[in-house]
Amino acid sequence: MSDATLTLTPPESVTTPRVEVNGHDPRMLISMRNIWKTYQMGTEKVHALHGVSFDIPRGEYIAIIGPSGSGKSTLMNLIGCLDTPSEGEYWLNGKNVSEMDDDELARIRNQEVGFVFQTFNLLARATALHNVELPLIYGGVGASQRHEMAKKALQAVDLTERMTHKPNELSGGQRQRVAIARALVNHPSILLADEPTGALDSHTSMEIMDLFERLHSEGNTIIVVTHEHDIAIRAHRVISIRDGLIEKDERIK
Amino acid sequence: MRYLFRLTAIWEAFRVATASLRSNKLRTALTLVGIVVGVAAVIAVVTIIKGLNQTVAQTFSSQGSTVFTISKNPQIIKSREDFIKFNRRKDVTHEDAEAITRLCTACWRVGIAANAIETVKYADQKAENVRIRGVDPTTMFDIDGVTISVGRIWTESEGAAGRDICVIGPDMLKNLFSDAPADRALGNEIRIDGRPYTIVGVLEPLGSIFGFSRDNVVYIPYSTYQRAYGGRRSLVTFIQVQTTEQLEAAEDQVRTIMRSRRHTAPEAEDEGFALETQDVFLNLYGSATSNIYIVTIGVAAISLVVGGIVVMNIMLVSVTERTKEIGIRKAIGARRKDILTQFLIEAVTVTAIGGAIGVATGFGLAYVISALIGFPLLVSVASAVLGVGVSSVVGIASGLWPAWRAARLDPIEALRAE
Repeated sequence: MSDATLTLTPPESVTTPRVEVNGHDPRMLISMRNIWKTYQMGTEKVHALHGVSFDIPRGEYIAIIGPSGSGKSTLMNLIGCLDTPSEGEYWLNGKNVSEMDDDELARIRNQEVGFVFQTFNLLARATALHNVELPLIYGGVGASQRHEMAKKALQAVDLTERMTHKPNELSGGQRQRVAIARALVNHPSILLADEPTGALDSHTSMEIMDLFERLHSEGNTIIVVTHEHDIAIRAHRVISIRDGLIEKDERIK
Repeated sequence: MRYLFRLTAIWEAFRVATASLRSNKLRTALTLVGIVVGVAAVIAVVTIIKGLNQTVAQTFSSQGSTVFTISKNPQIIKSREDFIKFNRRKDVTHEDAEAITRLCTACWRVGIAANAIETVKYADQKAENVRIRGVDPTTMFDIDGVTISVGRIWTESEGAAGRDICVIGPDMLKNLFSDAPADRALGNEIRIDGRPYTIVGVLEPLGSIFGFSRDNVVYIPYSTYQRAYGGRRSLVTFIQVQTTEQLEAAEDQVRTIMRSRRHTAPEAEDEGFALETQDVFLNLYGSATSNIYIVTIGVAAISLVVGGIVVMNIMLVSVTERTKEIGIRKAIGARRKDILTQFLIEAVTVTAIGGAIGVATGFGLAYVISALIGFPLLVSVASAVLGVGVSSVVGIASGLWPAWRAARLDPIEALRAE
């Protein structure tokens, strides 16, 4: 483990000196240490990630870019606690997530991670308000508080008038904003967006990216996973993934 | 907090369940059929039998459990051998009844009765299948539990003289006197088998049981009956005691009297007479209804099992269809038990709705049948609760496996589903 830390080349932009406590940097929101993800494909072992390590401090706006098959999606699933690494340690907000079981991961996803998906992934039969309330329901927030929090989140994405509409009554951009409100409603540590503009036209894409910028300026930590260069350069730091390894990790703003 | 959380999650699950059931109305309806049929069958049969029980209880209590009979043949003959054996017995006679009256100290009222089925005529009116009941003495009216509404019973001397007089049941007014008031019938002559009888009294109505009127009857004195239908026939002796506690003592005394009159040896195979209480009918009725219960419960069990399999099948389809939704819910923090609860509640909601519809259908069916046959409808809350409860249990049993499959889905794979 410490070997892996030593071999890591720190990004030029990260100027803060490295501090290690129990194998991770406690000042970092995310600490990935020598992460491997291996899939068994029949008799063959396929390594989607070969020992990836990086840190993300609180309040950063970061893009993870890479072509399809680079291991980018696998990395996103790990960051989002949808999956656990085959090897290595993942610390999220001071908690070692790599060892957790299904239900503990569900709890972390509920409290620490806000997902924004390419295809929005809203519940078709539920209103915008109910969709936004959903994480709070699984978080055990009482009804009146839940309504209030969900309304506030929808307000933050300028969708106050569309609260009672169902997804099929909303435009693509509006649906994505509902999804962003849902991601933010529980005040998660990270907002994790997977190709958030992939299903949107360029004008709406820009609106959504402007919204991310605003949310970042309000103090949210944002991670955007994309294969589009235009989207990636809106972030302040870009990690490029290729063949399961970090190819580049650079601060651009 | 945890309690609140469970309530919140269960309410959410219930909302999701009802929304998904509403969006697939036809499928939901088809899913329900098995459960509805099973529950409806049980509710209908239980309700009908409860109603019958009450009717039967009331009917027999009008005679009361204080009455027993002595006759040549028992009311129910179970085999040909018995029939032959009973036919070899001596007839029960007027003298037997007199001996019982004289010797039985525990007995309160003793009477004799014989029945014939005849057509009764008045002017150009005709009543068919009327029970002609020859009785003696007039206390037989009390033993039968019938009372005079208008007119009078014949006097003992009229009865002993074998006068052609009668007391008619209310059905006779309806069928022979076009529903005229009872006093208009008094004094008129009706004809039975060509013989004229003068009406001296009309009975209070008793109503009907299982569709058979108990008011379709004409009482005549036994000596008159004997002259009309011959005195050689065996008759039935009715014995009534004052309280049920005396029943056993009276039965013992009567048995002793009859044995000595028949010279029955203590070790004899056949007593030579039949002593019966209403228990005979009640036992027969009880065994008939318990058979109906068993068959119904069997039918219900089969349709509930089939219904449960249908529910399980539909739930599996539902889980497959909603894999994406499960993935979304898991991604935003639903744990295994949240998903499990959601699908279980959905299954239970379907079957509980099926159970409720079944209860309503069952009561409706029972209502129609009770109205047709003519017995009271007794709606029991307990059977309704049981119907919904059992179907909910079926829901849990059949929803468990699909719900478990849903709960175990991998969120990444589930999100990839379309």
